[in-house]
Amino acid sequence: MTSPVLEPVAELAAPSRGSLSHRLRRAVRRNRVLTVGTLLLGLIVVMVIVLPFFLPSSTATDPANRLLAPSGEHLLGTDLYGRDVLSRLVEGGRASLGMAVLITLCAGTAGMMIGMISGYFRAADAILMRVMDAWMAFPGIILATALAVAFGASMWTVLTALSVIFTPFVARVIRSRVLGVATKSFIEAARVSGMGRWKILFVHIFPNVLPLAVVQVIILAAAAMLIDGALSFLGLGIAPPTPTWGNMIAEGRAYMHDAPWLVIVPGLAIIMCVYLFNLVGASLRLVVDPRSRTLSELQRLRARGQGPRRRQANDADGAEPRTGELKQPAEPIDERI
Amino acid sequence: MAGVDSAPATPYDSTGKKGLVVTGLLFRRLRDLIIILLVVGTMMFFIIRLIPGDPAVAILGANPQPQELANLRDALGLDGSLLQQYFAWLGQVVTGNLGQSITHHDSVLSVIGRHIAPTLTLAVLSTSISFCIAVAITTWNTVRPRGILSRMVNQMAPLGMAIPDFWSSLMFILIFALTLRWLPSSGYTNLFSDPIGAIPGLVLPVTALVIGQSALYTLVLRESVLSELSHAYLRTARNKGLSESQVAIRHVLPNALMPILTIVGTNFAVLVGGIVIIESIFVIPGLGSLLLGAIHTRDFPLIQGITLFVALLFVLVNLIVDLSYTLIDPKVRVS
Repeated sequence: MTSPVLEPVAELAAPSRGSLSHRLRRAVRRNRVLTVGTLLLGLIVVMVIVLPFFLPSSTATDPANRLLAPSGEHLLGTDLYGRDVLSRLVEGGRASLGMAVLITLCAGTAGMMIGMISGYFRAADAILMRVMDAWMAFPGIILATALAVAFGASMWTVLTALSVIFTPFVARVIRSRVLGVATKSFIEAARVSGMGRWKILFVHIFPNVLPLAVVQVIILAAAAMLIDGALSFLGLGIAPPTPTWGNMIAEGRAYMHDAPWLVIVPGLAIIMCVYLFNLVGASLRLVVDPRSRTLSELQRLRARGQGPRRRQANDADGAEPRTGELKQPAEPIDERI
Repeated sequence: MAGVDSAPATPYDSTGKKGLVVTGLLFRRLRDLIIILLVVGTMMFFIIRLIPGDPAVAILGANPQPQELANLRDALGLDGSLLQQYFAWLGQVVTGNLGQSITHHDSVLSVIGRHIAPTLTLAVLSTSISFCIAVAITTWNTVRPRGILSRMVNQMAPLGMAIPDFWSSLMFILIFALTLRWLPSSGYTNLFSDPIGAIPGLVLPVTALVIGQSALYTLVLRESVLSELSHAYLRTARNKGLSESQVAIRHVLPNALMPILTIVGTNFAVLVGGIVIIESIFVIPGLGSLLLGAIHTRDFPLIQGITLFVALLFVLVNLIVDLSYTLIDPKVRVS
């Protein structure tokens, strides 16, 4: 749980101050990882949207040219039915990335609402958090399989199952942030001035937890892609002939020995997107979360060789430690995925 | 534990109260267990009842035998009003009766019992190996933060988390089973009846599970170590003449290990998901294969039973995590 009293220390300790938009702009300038990651991710999205207009049809079969190795004509080869793998990869990206975005939007919104209510209305907290714990106990794959059996495998069953599964992960993080924000004096001031509780929640608390929610949702997108891929692989997600990266791997599996590209290529696509989502999420977390910012600063200093020993030397001189901003906001590690 | 005596000062609990603390914890976990099982079970109960039309017909397919249909309706508990069905089912579950499997012609509990060993083997092996890898890497990382290995690990760990386990399994099969022919691509031998013979079959599935898990643990442990490093008690440790590696190994790591336990608990659901897929790829007759089989044959009582059982395991794992907290770390208050 957050220790709200220590929040101001974290704020003071933060190596960079200023408004969020200012910090964001500076982060883009300074943080090459964030910039490159976001650009690459954007590039993938644009490619997935635009390329299908230029590539050969992903559904056109050509039995004479089945299981062709990658060549000039078919950059990534052809599959069992002679379909162009590159076209299918791009088409599958629409499904896979689209699902990840939909799942995170649904889980993000639901989790945000539940987390805010749970963190602000103490009466609701006990019940809501117990139910959230119960949800987390439920392996996503099992709920998705149950839904798929009951209603048939489709986009909707996966979307429902995974949104339900991911909601508590957002809710818990948001709740702990709301607990911290709710003790700030501006909330007290709003209450004293006669503002209603719901209005305080949406006008004052919502903007303060939104950045953290965004970060959490981006990291969720990575997890969603992995589980969605696994479900498609098991044949419980979007069904062929609509390609997804997961079901492309499943289809290519039987021909793996003769046509390994059928499995390797969509796998690499998943890895790249999940990695980029994680990278962007982690770098953005540094912008909005003072605690992880301090930790990352510490990590950098250690890697550069200005570790604790130097600081200790400074302390001994009686001088203010140069890297003294690194005072730890003593929040225990918690509420993370 | 080495570092505890120099941990930041907290009012110390007399060991006499520990018993009380643990009892309170057990009580609360028991309450959580009931809530979780109730939510999970109710969810499964209604999912089955939400199937459009008659679930029994949906399961048996078109033109079922009337007798068969009646039997199945009976087995699924589909007589009476929804509320009656619900409480009848609840009463059954409370007495530990998970019903009869339709396809295995046996009680769900004994079917689960026959398939539990491989799943537990995979879970325990992969978790403990990942744990050891993460501790080893992080120890090295803490002692030599500027080493090449440390930098490499910092870059590799997020990548390890991005690799889907079903994909790495297929790659392993392609490389080590199909091309090099070093290891079998499928099959399972009971680790307890034939420990040596079981190893070749376990290497690939366990490795596939270890990649993502060890990456996750390494990242969590790294963050935990960093936050531990900024505590003031380390200054005392250094000033009394301990070397940097002594500080790391005797003080930082033991204290930093705590969060990993939590992650082992919360990661359980992800691990189960991974094991389901790994079992199906490597044809291991565990709970995952059982579940997927039950889905294909629409064996609802079995699906329901496995789901409840997994939820039960989740609570137990988290109970063990919590208990080990109170046992390892005296400063943990049950709040």
